[in-house]
Amino acid sequence: MRRAFGLFLALGLLAGLNACGPQKAIRAPCPHGSVCLEYGNGSEPVSLDPPKTTGTWEDRVMGEMLIGLTQNDPEGRPVPGMATSWETSPDGKTWTFHLRHALWSDGVPVTANDFVFGLRRLMDPATASQYAYLLFFIKNAEPVNAGRLPLTALGARAIDDHTLELTLEHPAPYLLEIAKHQTMYPLPEHAVKKWGDHWTDPGHYVVNGPYKLAFWRLGDHIKLVRNPLYFDASKVCIDQVDFYPTTDTIAAERRVRRGELDLDTNIISNRVAYLRRPDQIPAYVHVHTYLGVTYLVFNTHDVPALRDRRVRIALDMSVDRDFLTAKLARDGRLPAYTFVPPGTANYQPVAPPIWASWSFARRQAAARELLAEAGYGPGNPLKLEYKTGDTPEAIVGAAALQAGWREVGAQVTISQEEGQIAYQDLRIRNFQLGGASWIADYNDATSFLELQQSQTGAQNYGDYNNPVYDDLLAKADNEPDAGKRAAYLARAETIMLNDAAIIPVSFLVSKNLVNPRITGWVDNLTDWHRVQYLCFKR
Amino acid sequence: MTVLAPNLRRDSRTMEQAAAKGRSLWDDARRRLFRNRAAVASMILLGLFLLAAIVGPYLTPDHYDAINKGDVWDPPLTNGHLLGADSLGRDLLARLLVGLRVSLAIGVVATAVSLVIGVTWGATAGFLGGAVDELMMRFVDVLYTLPFIFFVILLMVTFGRHFLLIFLAIGCVEWLTMSRIVRGQTLSLKQKEFVEAARASGLSTRAIIGRHIVPNLLGPVVVYATLTIPGVILLESFLSFLGMGVQEPLTSLGTLISNGAEEMDLAPWLLIFPSLVMVLTLMAFNFIGDGLRDAIDPKDR
Repeated sequence: MRRAFGLFLALGLLAGLNACGPQKAIRAPCPHGSVCLEYGNGSEPVSLDPPKTTGTWEDRVMGEMLIGLTQNDPEGRPVPGMATSWETSPDGKTWTFHLRHALWSDGVPVTANDFVFGLRRLMDPATASQYAYLLFFIKNAEPVNAGRLPLTALGARAIDDHTLELTLEHPAPYLLEIAKHQTMYPLPEHAVKKWGDHWTDPGHYVVNGPYKLAFWRLGDHIKLVRNPLYFDASKVCIDQVDFYPTTDTIAAERRVRRGELDLDTNIISNRVAYLRRPDQIPAYVHVHTYLGVTYLVFNTHDVPALRDRRVRIALDMSVDRDFLTAKLARDGRLPAYTFVPPGTANYQPVAPPIWASWSFARRQAAARELLAEAGYGPGNPLKLEYKTGDTPEAIVGAAALQAGWREVGAQVTISQEEGQIAYQDLRIRNFQLGGASWIADYNDATSFLELQQSQTGAQNYGDYNNPVYDDLLAKADNEPDAGKRAAYLARAETIMLNDAAIIPVSFLVSKNLVNPRITGWVDNLTDWHRVQYLCFKR
Repeated sequence: MTVLAPNLRRDSRTMEQAAAKGRSLWDDARRRLFRNRAAVASMILLGLFLLAAIVGPYLTPDHYDAINKGDVWDPPLTNGHLLGADSLGRDLLARLLVGLRVSLAIGVVATAVSLVIGVTWGATAGFLGGAVDELMMRFVDVLYTLPFIFFVILLMVTFGRHFLLIFLAIGCVEWLTMSRIVRGQTLSLKQKEFVEAARASGLSTRAIIGRHIVPNLLGPVVVYATLTIPGVILLESFLSFLGMGVQEPLTSLGTLISNGAEEMDLAPWLLIFPSLVMVLTLMAFNFIGDGLRDAIDPKDR
């Protein structure tokens, strides 16, 4: 056993040395005369059945095959997809979509019924979709999802084959944004009825988008090929896409350098500056502002100390965002003192707390005072555990946070868990302090602010419960005027930050490594880059 | 007859002389060991490392988890960092010494655990023989089939991550081979005359195992233990490399190497120094183990 291990080590070393020398790119085979894209997708999809997915890496594949009412343009903004035009009622609660005459890949027409079927399947308690809550703005969605009303009560109706009517609980100015989301894809009712849960197998998967599923081997790759029946098929340049689950980001970076992959959807943050050096691969590096935030949460449910606002503020003040972003992550992310990222739609930026502009030493002094007021000091130190994922970035970040808190007298131990388990622990409140991040599902401020709503449940990790906050969000939901709505949301955010419900740490950036031979790639806020717009330089 | 008599006398004389000098098998072994240059050099090096691991962390100017915000990725010999600083500006020398301490501690403690369990188990099984032996060794076989990594992950998931769990996990697995070696040795030992004699004089089984079998096993056991320590250190590094090792900000050689490998083209010193220390430690242990084997069991040369 040991000997075998030593041998492996020796072989590994040899392979490592070998990797230093120039190597020929080993690209996956591509049919003669075709254009193939080798896509580093970051992770392996759990499923390709839309209501059973939650990940961006899953939608990167599904979104190439299924097109909703709207779809992403090259800049990630919603443009007409299956719907060509739409009208809204004056109160903003009824939307009528007119669908184009399109076909599923098996020749069956795409009808409004397929959208109704998709929405009902999402809300069906039997499907148990984790993402159903996202569409609770549709009339009766919540009781339907809870099983209190029949599926037919859902506010989605096919007026005729090519007219879809959605009835909403309250106006949702972000409906067109969310209409391109994976929860709102139409599903081919005939195929789902025929194959059941196996409708997503290669050969059964019926699509209305630019690509169809040709092959999927778990942990190896997913192959998509051109769908000739796609309504815009003539504009699609790339014939075949292979998606690889590139969980090892460093290895993926080497594969992109060698030309084995054309792009990868992640870069290790502290390597961004290095890769941008002129002697490295500056033209490959794409870093852009993103609708994402990293933040820390408190378990106010089980830890009495964290119910004290002074303790939360003290912990908040002693987080050195400048060090964490500029020195540690060094990928261009910005320090965050507020929760909603700048650039989010339907949002007016709020002022950060006053102490944000203080020097770090002054903040530390104030934090020490607050802790002393709350009854903690050298004789009775505040002792907490910080739970985080186990990526290298999360671990060094945790060590930095720990050191910062130690300087103000809080003794924090670190507990690292595998990423999925760490989030699970946050959901079941098996933590004291936790690290989390949030990527917007749709470009709107509520996508962030609803996390701290009292009825959000599991994802409101800190169990923040402020009736004023809830009330302001409800008012915003029912406000048709965009300006007034944004003002409600801004007031809500200010209150939430003033309560120190969470500690915002940084506003994320999207990081992609893209071969410069690829054309049509536009960096954007939502980080959606559909393959149908990409091509290669001749 | 008369011719043979002087010979007999001479024999008894040499035996008396030998007894006066007190030259036992162990003396021979020590002498052979100290003639082995590689083993001696390894012992000196290991002694130095041990000393550094024990007192070193108290002597470094920086504490191993002290973050220096201005010193991120300082190369060696800058800002008072002899071996450079890591991505949090922590002094690599301080971290290396602590890492060495943790790795050596895991190596020694886990080996001691495996030694105690393995020797008791193997000696008992081998000496008792028969159905008891069958039962005990099949139990070992069953434990052998347990995939180590699954076992560790299972432990971590059930009990959470803890420093002691790594000792436990490694110790629990390492004693298996030890018990097999010991059992084999015991099987041959128990046929020896002195065991027969002990049995004839009415000594209890426990007393025979404790007084006759175990001391005679010492040779192979010591050799195997010396070779187990580097194996354990390597295993701990392997776990750390997979992210299942000790918790930040505490560190071990494996964790340091794992972190260094991530940043090797940005800050190569973070990989080079920990790897160097690791390689030297493992080599030293292996040389000592080889030297001991040659010294204790000359037939094996």
